[in-house]
Amino acid sequence: MSATPDQQRREESAGLMEYSAESLVPFGPIHPALKEPEYFKLVLEGERIIDVIPRIGYVHRGLEKAAESRPWVQNMYMFERTCGICSFVHSLCYGQAVEELTMFQVPRRAKFIRTIIAEMERIHSHLLWVGLMGHWAGFDTLFMWVWNDREVVLDLVEAIAGNRVHKSMNAFCGVRRDMPENMEERIVERMKFLTDRARYYREIIDTEETMLKRTENIGRVSAETAEKLCAVGPMARYVGLRRDVRLNDPYAAYDEVPLDVVTTTDGDVHALLRLRLDELVASANMVTYAVQNLPDGPIRVKVPPIIPAGEHSSHCEAPRGEIFYYVKSSGGRTPERVKSRQPTMANLPTALEMLKGQTLADIPVVLTAIDPCFGCMDRMSFYDTETNRKWTWSGEELRQFGINYYFPERAKRKPALADLVGRSASVEQCSREEF
Amino acid sequence: MSETVTRLGGYAEEVGTKLTTLRKNESIVEVGQDNLKTFVSHLVNDLHVHHLMTITGLDLGQNLGITYHFSMERDTIHVRTLVPKTKPVAVSIVDIVPGSILYEMELHDMFGIEFVGNPWKDQKLLLPDDWPNDLPPPLLKSSKADQIRKRLGLEVAKQ
Repeated sequence: MSATPDQQRREESAGLMEYSAESLVPFGPIHPALKEPEYFKLVLEGERIIDVIPRIGYVHRGLEKAAESRPWVQNMYMFERTCGICSFVHSLCYGQAVEELTMFQVPRRAKFIRTIIAEMERIHSHLLWVGLMGHWAGFDTLFMWVWNDREVVLDLVEAIAGNRVHKSMNAFCGVRRDMPENMEERIVERMKFLTDRARYYREIIDTEETMLKRTENIGRVSAETAEKLCAVGPMARYVGLRRDVRLNDPYAAYDEVPLDVVTTTDGDVHALLRLRLDELVASANMVTYAVQNLPDGPIRVKVPPIIPAGEHSSHCEAPRGEIFYYVKSSGGRTPERVKSRQPTMANLPTALEMLKGQTLADIPVVLTAIDPCFGCMDRMSFYDTETNRKWTWSGEELRQFGINYYFPERAKRKPALADLVGRSASVEQCSREEF
Repeated sequence: MSETVTRLGGYAEEVGTKLTTLRKNESIVEVGQDNLKTFVSHLVNDLHVHHLMTITGLDLGQNLGITYHFSMERDTIHVRTLVPKTKPVAVSIVDIVPGSILYEMELHDMFGIEFVGNPWKDQKLLLPDDWPNDLPPPLLKSSKADQIRKRLGLEVAKQ
């Protein structure tokens, strides 16, 4: 008996119904769960992730290439703009590599000031991260509270360095600004406040159901895997590896300030939350110690603009983990080669490993757990709404504008500047009073 | 100098090369492409230097330099190998140090070095998908920023 049309149809469609067990889902580059563009190709089996292929570079600005055509000093402030959160540590690391080439010694007071700023930056970065974790886990109250407390440390940084994020505090062999007088008491009091808050948040994340459900037993990797994949910073410490540059290869004043390296062996996202909050307390203690024991003396040694030939590397512990700079000089006014490696690049293979076995819904939490960070800008665009005119300023023009802004009297002596800003406004309008 | 670095210096002389000290706790050793995998394997498996910080590419005129930066507590060890610019092919160390996968991809993008053995060597990591093949890799000294901007149509009109 031949098959009925109904049976025939069923047989024909059987081939169509056989889905392959794996499906490929693109994630990004523009996605609500990512604050910065990044693309992941996800191989899913049902809801479970079985493989991830990364595609980064959407905000790659070619800083290493740009560094080869700029003077040594300018590079320091350009590399500071690699990151909008942990900016100070980039200039510190680049500066240290160059200082090795110059053979000048950094004054002890400058080392302490560098440590204070670096630790304050860690506090601000960890608070930002804890807030974001709260946000992605669906606990926005935590996000708002934590970011409110972050203002406390940002205010302190502003009082010391004059700016909240891009501090431009570093110079070769020293720092550019001294600690303001009578800050000690205020810093110690604020650090105590932040320590208390961190302890309170620690209690919240350990008891609050929302946080526990979203973070416990998620994003597990073994210590061996993390070690093989060269994980750095909190991503290595949360599985029990004692990888911390401050401990292993002390720079700045870390050999004098009592250091408490926090590690855990729990190895899930919840452990990362606890670890970063504990690190915050440790950092606050370090800042307190450094401020109370700040030595007297000069803050800077002048370094000539030509750096002797040679090659050196330096690494520092940024809030996200180890950053690495390699500098090669051929004895000129510009570097021969600068290589910078950020912690997110080092932690990406581990993050991909963390994602495997998780469900699609866990991606924001796991990806935020590594504290990803990319990108920078070095140019400014203008748009005049009245005339529909667009124009762009180069870095040099911006620099000139900066000088003009702070020293209007100098601008009047330089007619070239008037031409520069005269496109939309006169020199006087661009002075401090108007902006 | 720590014991690890002293032992590495001894091993370097066995394979016919030399460990040079750049400064306290920082040393560099130059290894040929043929010996690279055995050398790195000795460093990682026998001396337990697990942490590869990154890989740096260098344009040295005739050759391209590939520097592997290893870190072990206070010591930084640079392992450098050279490949000719005319035939930029190097061996991959992904099977010994799995964490090197993205760094090798980065060098492939930026210097055009092909790493034989890297499972993802054919895909781009940092450069755009439509990066023109007739342009030299961007971090070579022969590559100029203006040339790239012009070729990609990114010229900014100055007013």
